[in-house]
Amino acid sequence: MSQSTDINGHNETFPTDETPTNISRRRFLLASAGVAAGALVLGFGLPLDTARARGATAAAGSPPRVPAFLEIRPDGGIRLQSPFNEGGQGIFTAMAQIVGEELDADPTHFLVENAPPGKQYTVMSNGMRITGGSMSVRFGYTAMRRIGALARMMLLQAAAHQWGIAVGELTTEPGRVIHKASGKSLDYGQLAPHAMALAVPDADSVKLKDPGQFRWIGKPVKRVDVYDKSTGRVEYTIDTRVDGMLQAAVQHAPRLGMTVGRIRNEAQIKAMKGVHSVHILDGAVAVVAERWWNAKRAAETAQVDWQEPKPDPSARHMPTDFSTKSYREHLANASGDGETAESKGHVGDALKGAQTVVNATYSSQYVHHAQLEPPSALAHFHDDGTLEIWLPNQAPDMFLADIAKRAGVDADKIILHSPMLGGFFGRHFLYGPGNPYMQAVQLAKATGRPIKLIWSREEEFLRDPMRPMAVVKFRGGLDANGMPVALEAISATEGPTEGIANQRSKKKVDDSAVEGLTGKAYAIPNRRIAQLYVKTPAMLAYWRSVGHSMNDFLYETFLDELADKGGQDPFELRMKLLKGNQRLTHLLQAVAELAGGWKRGPFTAADGSRRARGVAMASPFGSQTAAIAEVSLENGQVRVHDIWQAVDPGSIVNPAIIDAQVAGATALGLSEVLLEEAVYENGQPRARNYDMYPILPPDRMPKVHARIVESGAKMGGIGEPPLPATPPAVANAVSHLTGQRIRSMPLSQYDFSA
Amino acid sequence: MSKRRYRKILAIVGAALAVVIAATTWFVNRKPGSPFDGVSASTSPSKALIERGRYVARLADCVACHSTPHGKPFAGGLEMSTPLGSIYTTNITPDKATGIGGYSLADFARALRHGVAGDGHRLYPAMPFPSYAKLDDADVRALYAYFMHAVRPQRQPDRKSDIAWPMNMRWPLALWSAVFTDGGTYQRNAAPAGVDATLWNRGAYIVQGPGHCGSCHTPRGAVMNEKAYDGSSRQYLAGALLDGWYAPSLRGDVNIGLGRWSQADIVRFLREGRNAHAVVYGSMTDAYNNSTQFMSDADLKAIAVYLKSLPGNPKQDGPPWQYQDTPNPALGSGAHPQAAGARLYLAKCGFCHGRDGRGQGTWIPPLAGSVASMSRHDASAINITLNGSTHIVAQGVPDGYRMPAFRHQLSDRDVAEVLSFIRTSWGNRGGSVKPQDVKKLRQRTNPASSDVIILQMR
Amino acid sequence: MELHINGKTYSVQSEGDTPLLWVIRDELGLTGTKYGCGIAQCGACSVLVDGEVMRSCVTPVEGVKGRNITTIEGVEEDPIGQRVVAAWVEHQVPQCGYCQSGQVMAATSLLKQTPQPSEAQIAASMTNLCRCGTYNAISAAVQDLAGGGPSAAAEKARMQAATAANGRGMRS
Repeated sequence: MSQSTDINGHNETFPTDETPTNISRRRFLLASAGVAAGALVLGFGLPLDTARARGATAAAGSPPRVPAFLEIRPDGGIRLQSPFNEGGQGIFTAMAQIVGEELDADPTHFLVENAPPGKQYTVMSNGMRITGGSMSVRFGYTAMRRIGALARMMLLQAAAHQWGIAVGELTTEPGRVIHKASGKSLDYGQLAPHAMALAVPDADSVKLKDPGQFRWIGKPVKRVDVYDKSTGRVEYTIDTRVDGMLQAAVQHAPRLGMTVGRIRNEAQIKAMKGVHSVHILDGAVAVVAERWWNAKRAAETAQVDWQEPKPDPSARHMPTDFSTKSYREHLANASGDGETAESKGHVGDALKGAQTVVNATYSSQYVHHAQLEPPSALAHFHDDGTLEIWLPNQAPDMFLADIAKRAGVDADKIILHSPMLGGFFGRHFLYGPGNPYMQAVQLAKATGRPIKLIWSREEEFLRDPMRPMAVVKFRGGLDANGMPVALEAISATEGPTEGIANQRSKKKVDDSAVEGLTGKAYAIPNRRIAQLYVKTPAMLAYWRSVGHSMNDFLYETFLDELADKGGQDPFELRMKLLKGNQRLTHLLQAVAELAGGWKRGPFTAADGSRRARGVAMASPFGSQTAAIAEVSLENGQVRVHDIWQAVDPGSIVNPAIIDAQVAGATALGLSEVLLEEAVYENGQPRARNYDMYPILPPDRMPKVHARIVESGAKMGGIGEPPLPATPPAVANAVSHLTGQRIRSMPLSQYDFSA
Repeated sequence: MSKRRYRKILAIVGAALAVVIAATTWFVNRKPGSPFDGVSASTSPSKALIERGRYVARLADCVACHSTPHGKPFAGGLEMSTPLGSIYTTNITPDKATGIGGYSLADFARALRHGVAGDGHRLYPAMPFPSYAKLDDADVRALYAYFMHAVRPQRQPDRKSDIAWPMNMRWPLALWSAVFTDGGTYQRNAAPAGVDATLWNRGAYIVQGPGHCGSCHTPRGAVMNEKAYDGSSRQYLAGALLDGWYAPSLRGDVNIGLGRWSQADIVRFLREGRNAHAVVYGSMTDAYNNSTQFMSDADLKAIAVYLKSLPGNPKQDGPPWQYQDTPNPALGSGAHPQAAGARLYLAKCGFCHGRDGRGQGTWIPPLAGSVASMSRHDASAINITLNGSTHIVAQGVPDGYRMPAFRHQLSDRDVAEVLSFIRTSWGNRGGSVKPQDVKKLRQRTNPASSDVIILQMR
Repeated sequence: MELHINGKTYSVQSEGDTPLLWVIRDELGLTGTKYGCGIAQCGACSVLVDGEVMRSCVTPVEGVKGRNITTIEGVEEDPIGQRVVAAWVEHQVPQCGYCQSGQVMAATSLLKQTPQPSEAQIAASMTNLCRCGTYNAISAAVQDLAGGGPSAAAEKARMQAATAANGRGMRS
């Protein structure tokens, strides 16, 4: 998800309202929260009264909640509650590294869990708690370092007290406090019980490490979750279970907005094996059963008379005549100049004065998240009315507030768990009917039993909100030397943020719709980027790298079209347009160097295939990227052999995780450019599973070569940035190799065998 | 039956035009006689008669063509594509203005048996009237009672065909009918020795008449006429290529027919949609979902008895298939095949159909020895691979295991290679498949819907 | 009916046509095996049956009665499975991890049948989908296990060190 435009840098002050509290002094609370006896527990802003109240209700069956941020156990184990959700991006490891660096403890031995909701865990300098927008490390960095440093200071104080030695004479080695002069040492675990009684030092009293002394930050530290993920031990939401639980499956209305008229064969369904009950939900029929397979088969068996909804502008309704093909035409036919998102100079005048004007229409396609874990949720009402819920999410507090509002349960009577995510990609934000948790809550309420609801893959493809489609009309002006002097891009689209809010951006431009058309670094003197708002009936979503996932494709491929029209080499043109921009010319040179020097081709490779290369750049989420792709044709389809990508996130925490993120984001970008397109006909998606919506399979995966460039600029994101430059690099290579200008994705729609 | 079977309308109409010179206008405009002329049907038929009519409608699978998944029962509107343009099935609800509400019993019988609409225009033979002609009077009466009294009238005008003049003229079809259909109701025959004559005749009646099995399973002539309408010809139900599918022989052919099936296998297949030899797919899914599973056990038995009485044609069918443990040498030694087709098989097919090609119980059909693997016609193999299958819905419950569509994952060459592997392994003799044939079928066909489709009759 | 899973015998009540996947996940509570698509497209549900990889979402349970089933929970009891897990950790393969149970099972099956698979054999066998794009790490891990050439892990570590050095060298 994207909030990048709303965020202004980090500050060095503590972002939470309060400094951390040593909550290990409130021992009565901790034991039942899984905290080891004698552990030092640091938390922020313990809400004491509430906590006491919770301690009291614990007897009634629901577990108490303790904002235990960092726990150092007597056995030396360290448990960290991560404010950020782990979904494969390695954030648990990065958090452990950052805290471990200042605490001076080996991060690979940390036990990291996802923190519960609560403003105590809002550590980002922008005051948000969202895992998205590639923000976690860059905006949580200082706060997490500081909590590590404070804990270390307390352990030092405890040792000083034990030994009767001044703190200043003590130092630490990973996991222990040392008094060098006497050779004495104590493990953190041994010190933890003694630190329990101490007050947390003033935040300003600790000094953060000099980066030059980093032991773990900047190193390829092994991930904390890899062994569990290699042995099936990680519990995703879909794996959760509680005593007395029933399972549920749904059949959704074929088109969003339709409601249940009646179920023709309710008696038949109720009589099916294992079925507990049948329920009518908003736009869905649900079957509850002991086992999910039985629930699923019964839900599929339901013969439902679906009814068209009454007109309701606050809800989205998918009409029967909606098709992606006609909607693309609709967008292409939208006329107008749109609302300006970014402007410089005078595009109109510059185009009039240009030697050559290039007009071209480009488009993007709807794409699905297609994360491998189908959505699910487990809802459990305790006897005292407390709702305990497990659900995939990337913003626990926002989900909790939404559940409180829609389920009519007080926020402090909701216990929300955020298990590991079986794929992130932007799927786990609040998408209204695109999430299953409210259905689970309703069913738990109706049955009086804990309910685990799982959407089958087919139901997921029916309700997965999509990355928007856009049709962009470009006008480019070239001077006599073939240099771009003007560029205008008008994107007819509804942005994801607009789509999720179901209303047009109050600013009239949805930044998440145009990012990647805006924010380009090329020195084109006259330019105008605009959004022409066209509402779509489809549900929209953030998708890894959000607007950049399509806009950098659109922009960078048009830039190649301009280069060709102006008789310029696309690499050289980019270098010229970035003249004086040391960071980006350096980055572009770095990627070329990684690829063994820039050569566009076509050339004949050692295996006899004809190949070409394409280049593209992007500036997403505070980072800078440049990619080169090498492609050939095989039976009329594109084969990508190599992707070289240079990424400059300013500075880094874990190069191994960055390598993995570059490979992963590149794969998703490739999947999008080679294969993916969600097609609707008659208001319904044509694909309900991976058979009709193929995602990148292993045999289409190229070699990915990553180079991390640490320019020292302000820290940028890493989970999304390596995606946007990939699709245009591939498409530019294909355009050059085939002579056919690629203006839309996926490439599988073209037959290059002619 | 096939919903898009008359792709060679051009040929039909063309041939009919060729003989038009010899035809007389009165002939093509006349309404054929009906035993019901002047007979008035009861205005309040018995419940039993209506129920019988409902059952005949199931035998005849009226709903499969005269309803659409999201439309009203029997209101028509199903598109059938032909090379000349699409035609659309008609509203057969008892609505007076747009349906058949104004039809007398005689009008109804003429449409059903002779393909002549109430206003005298000729129906395209997408309507299987040459088979329905065999319906006995009692069944016609019952069917009429059902449509008039148990089907809800729907005001939905018929959609005009997209076929342009002159090909849209209907009168030449009268000549086609005269030449290519035999027209009479089913006549009881002597059963083969040792076979229960009542069962056999009942089976023959359903198969030839309301069941109109020949529409798909009997080969067609130059102008799309079925080459036979009863067992007197060896061509009858001998297997046919139609609309992108190869409908197997329903005769005793061991390889491409029912030679290896017992009567019980046939009954199980028609009742459950699956047995150890095969699972319904392609056009047969429509016939199963809407028709055969609703047939009584006695009728299914009768069908099995009749079909098992039709001899195969060993000359054409070849020596009986036998499973061979050593598949195509292309599979290579050990676990790792060298040929692309074998590799694709293991990656895309083997998890369900088994590395040994034997399928899994009755749930996932074998490819070893299957008709699609043995027939020289490769259309069914290509089609199911590209497009997958729609859900089989048995007693209202959709199947748990569905064939995926591979058109977006496999190129023409991939499909050709994997099917060539399948059709030459495990003793299969279907032979190799050409990429250009895959390409042609890819262009002509659409992926099966993964929705559960249940066509309601009320 | 009785099922032999990870060396134990379980008596199960599910109907014969129930996919093995849902018997082991729901009835037996072995949730390491994942549901991804239900139609054998993704491989997240891969298990071993008599040492050979199968996709449990399309395996009616009645067909595996009496056969030896290994799920991810039992993979480390197999010496080859143990090596595969170690290689997965060494190469830091998983990202979100959801497909990785299936990937580990597929690799184990391959190496049980072919201890030293060629690159082509690895490609032919490792066909499970991964939305996080860990394919190169998977193939490096399996190649390492196949023992062909220099350790891919060592190679990767060397490259990372070089990258880090380069990166700092390029600080502008």
